[in-house]
Amino acid sequence: MPEIFSLGQTPVTCHSFNADRTQLAVSLNNNEALIMNKQGNEWVPSITLSEHDKLITSIDWAPNSNRIVTCSQDRNAYVWQEQTDPETGGLVWKPTLVLLRINRAATHVRWSPKEDKFAVASGARAIAVCSFDAENNWWVSKLLKKPIRSTVLAVDWHPNNVLLAAGSADMKARVFSAYIKEVDERPSPTVWGSKLPFNTICGEYTTPAGGWVHAVGFSPSGDVLAFAGHDSSISIVYPGGPVLHTIRMQTLPLITLTWTAEDSIVAAGHDCRPLVFAGSEAGWREAGTLDDPSAAKSPDSRFGGGSPTVGRLKTGAFATFRDADTRGQSSASPVTDTKLTTIHQNTITSVRPYAYGGAGVSQVSTSGVDGTLVVWDVNAVVALTSRLGGSHLR
Amino acid sequence: MSNSLRPYLAAVRSTLTAALTLENFASQVVERHNKPEIESSTSKEVLLNPLTISRNENERVLIEPSVNSIRLSIKIKQADEIERILCNKFTRFMMQRAESFIVLRRKPVTGYDISFLITNTHTETMLKHKIVDFIIQFMEEVDKEISEMKLSLNARARIVAESYLTAVRSISLLRCLQLKSPQFNT
Amino acid sequence: MEVNFRKINVDQYDEDVIQESELYEADPREPAEVLEEAKQRQVAVRGLLSKNDIAGALTTILDNAPYGPNVESAKEITLQTLLTILNSTKSTEISVIIKSLSMDTQDTLMKYIYKGMGMPGWGDVSGSVLLGWHEKLTEVAGVGCIVRTMTDRRIV
Repeated sequence: MPEIFSLGQTPVTCHSFNADRTQLAVSLNNNEALIMNKQGNEWVPSITLSEHDKLITSIDWAPNSNRIVTCSQDRNAYVWQEQTDPETGGLVWKPTLVLLRINRAATHVRWSPKEDKFAVASGARAIAVCSFDAENNWWVSKLLKKPIRSTVLAVDWHPNNVLLAAGSADMKARVFSAYIKEVDERPSPTVWGSKLPFNTICGEYTTPAGGWVHAVGFSPSGDVLAFAGHDSSISIVYPGGPVLHTIRMQTLPLITLTWTAEDSIVAAGHDCRPLVFAGSEAGWREAGTLDDPSAAKSPDSRFGGGSPTVGRLKTGAFATFRDADTRGQSSASPVTDTKLTTIHQNTITSVRPYAYGGAGVSQVSTSGVDGTLVVWDVNAVVALTSRLGGSHLR
Repeated sequence: MSNSLRPYLAAVRSTLTAALTLENFASQVVERHNKPEIESSTSKEVLLNPLTISRNENERVLIEPSVNSIRLSIKIKQADEIERILCNKFTRFMMQRAESFIVLRRKPVTGYDISFLITNTHTETMLKHKIVDFIIQFMEEVDKEISEMKLSLNARARIVAESYLTAVRSISLLRCLQLKSPQFNT
Repeated sequence: MEVNFRKINVDQYDEDVIQESELYEADPREPAEVLEEAKQRQVAVRGLLSKNDIAGALTTILDNAPYGPNVESAKEITLQTLLTILNSTKSTEISVIIKSLSMDTQDTLMKYIYKGMGMPGWGDVSGSVLLGWHEKLTEVAGVGCIVRTMTDRRIV
């Protein structure tokens, strides 16, 4: 049974949990990041991180070093570190500005697996790969530029801490080397290549029908890449062959994805429900969804009608005549309630692993434009019933 | 008549649903700006193919999608001169009050009567499927509204003509009497 | 003083900016070749229609359909042929036929339905037929098919 938390009426642009999942960093579609603590069955905001002056686009919380990185459309990124305040003795989050050297909005940020680097995607047709310069005590960046031709929408790190996948609005998903001499050890050869100086392109893949690449992700082993495009497609690449599996869906485009095991992906987007894809090098298919449409969602979804159903008088015949009187609505055309049958009532913008167990990820969390955060059990896959999904047609 | 209205509205509904897949997208041309790409059209790759749905020559919908905004333009049925005038007045009335309609554009796209500009802010603050419902309802209502206005206009014209002609008739009756019997003049 | 330089759109000189031609892979075939092919298909479709093989006719005309610039006449022939097929199909058979088509063909069919509706002067002739097909195709192929019509720059 999925756990549903309502974080607010405003969209949740991005979310990230701390290592033990007791705290949550979110941005509610504005220039502030909130750190929330779990109290009982809800998340309560405790600390506000305000340094940005435009919309925060992405947040990532490094589990081991307990640092938060935020990036925003104001072209900046900040690394936040929890420190003891010398005056009060309490813990405060101290921001450090990162010199990104980009001149357009930052769109997406992710810590590398070893947490010594992070990558910031941007609208400047570049990705800033940032590492810490201990001598000067600041974060410096190196830019991956060629051959990106448009806004980079998503990045994801390979488990070896060197390779970086990026999806961009020029309809391509690419794999780059983000090897930084001062930080990284020489990486051992992978299926993506063996000699990897900075900005080597290890792969470039196009969406089947010209969609922007909204999401990219390496499989847990790092040997497979998945990317989702705006043309309602998801593609899985095995670089050895190279074998490219593409699933064209009947539903609206996906904008976020995460691998839950070597043979399974959870992806979500404009269709308002997380979909599960399963397969191997031989082939991939749409396995189902985590959102069980038959389960009762909330009590109010069963009542029809746009009018509030409070009190006995205002139901049934009374409401019919009152509507006819005050609003001119005749009973011949009853007000159909258009609440979606999915848990999320609007686009899901972010899906991330929540809990690990057994062979891989056992739970994922999603957040969306409707302001809710949902934790799903990845094994509770339900077969797809309606092919039109969230988009109901009358 | 109405049997071709239903597939028409269904086509608009599904196309609009497909087009309303917007996201927050900052301009990649102008620093620190965030504008509807469909209006600024500075980056080709974030604009999608415009689609037309037509019921017949006089009733069409044009949907121009982009990464963070869509423009939807409607050509409303205008069978005769009166409907043309009514439609013009009606759309002008609404577009002058565009801010109260939130998604309305102040000026229609060339060749169409009324345009809507829906941006990612709208899909974030309002439920996406409700916006689709609103547009479809608008399309249903606008035809009804205009034909109702036409009927009431005709009815009014009839009453005006009737009372005017009644007056004329009584005067001319008087004239006739005057001509026939001159003693009335005195 | 010369002030016209102020009106120059400097952004167009940005060498990183993506060009129209880079948005999709151009058709390798010559325009004349495409036109010839379209004409041949028109004949083939007539043959298939006389045998009442609608699905076969649709596949023939939509497979590898002309796209991109400079092939306007070939596109027009294809559209005309397609409309003859669509018009000669019984409305009860549409769903079955669409289900038998491949995903590529469905996507191309959707593109042509929108093209047909977008052509000025064509709406009166086939408006309701195209709307009927659009509805059935959306039922089978979903809104994803419409999304692909929007995103695919290989415009038919």
